[in-house]
Amino acid sequence: MTDDLEPLRRARPDRLQPDDPIDPAVLSDERERFMSTIDETGTLPITERRTPTIYPRLAYRDEVAALEYLTRVFGFREWRESRMEHATGVLAWLEVGDGVVMIGRAGPEHHDLSSPADAGAVTCMVNVYVDNVDAHYARAAAEGARIVMPLEDMFWGDRRYEALDLEGHRWHFGERLSHVRERLGQS
Amino acid sequence: MDPSGAEPSDAAVIAASCADPAAFATIFDRHAATLLRFLVRRVGPDAADGLVGESFRIAFERRASYDCSRPSARPWLYGIATNVLAKHRRAEARRLAALARLPRRPGGDTPPAAVDDQVIAQVDARELWPRVAATIAALPPGERDALLLYAWEDLGYEDIAAALGIPVGTVRSRLNRARRRLREQREPACAGGEQPSTHSEDRGRIES
Repeated sequence: MTDDLEPLRRARPDRLQPDDPIDPAVLSDERERFMSTIDETGTLPITERRTPTIYPRLAYRDEVAALEYLTRVFGFREWRESRMEHATGVLAWLEVGDGVVMIGRAGPEHHDLSSPADAGAVTCMVNVYVDNVDAHYARAAAEGARIVMPLEDMFWGDRRYEALDLEGHRWHFGERLSHVRERLGQS
Repeated sequence: MDPSGAEPSDAAVIAASCADPAAFATIFDRHAATLLRFLVRRVGPDAADGLVGESFRIAFERRASYDCSRPSARPWLYGIATNVLAKHRRAEARRLAALARLPRRPGGDTPPAAVDDQVIAQVDARELWPRVAATIAALPPGERDALLLYAWEDLGYEDIAAALGIPVGTVRSRLNRARRRLREQREPACAGGEQPSTHSEDRGRIES
């Protein structure tokens, strides 16, 4: 009996193009990046992960694009094992420091939540403290965040900036000035 | 796995990594090259860039839910990488089409310096590819994933079932359906001989 899968085996892409290169540098780069992720998240054993008592849920027309945006531009880390993928949309939990935001799709069937892109108005601002607001600002600006209030030292003791994300949700990123001074060795 | 038994199993390493995250590096070192080759086969080197890392980050974050009765993590990792690929179906379609555009003879009209087994295998693979690619492109994703894990990655039924999180019976029926499609694809060609027009049709189907 001939095996029906024989042609498929013989035509495996690496046989088609044996010199198709796998660059060893790709693996070592990936390993380096992977290990830095482990270092960042590794301090907290995942079994001890808890959702904070209060955390917002933000709605997006395109929650998958939002997920990509928030991790890339603002440096949020997704709890990948928590992601729920439904035919009607993705639910995801994003962590920064000891805070969590949940994101999902906008619409009447999703708790009647709206994206600012549809509502034409923003009705809340999410405030986030970060370890180094200067670096955070530089990254967000470089990645194309819409900065609406520039980085500035405020009288109440924060260095902060405000930005709109891809669908217009408003974010306030700050660092205590005492922490800034400590970080810069000026305490 | 090390047949000598001197090295801890993947399951033991993963269990240890729940308390000591850096231990997970061993899982990367053992399986990253295999996963990269798999991803490159499916979507090509450019699109595969970054997907190995993404797969391992997901694996790392899910390590607490790893089934430690399975000593080798390889099927589990293949399953995660397969899920990652699901977001890259267009890259996969482009890969299938791009390989179909390779010249039939490696090196074009220039005869190869030496006709060795590798060249023969390559010419053979390129002859087969357009029809194989058209079949792969036409398969529903679930059948395609099972089929390619079996035929290209040499996973057994049990491992495919573990990787895709489906019963073994479902693996069997998916593979049977895929086999039938491959057979149907082949038979008209055997009867009618090779027609250049067939290949351009195949190509159109791959890209659609």
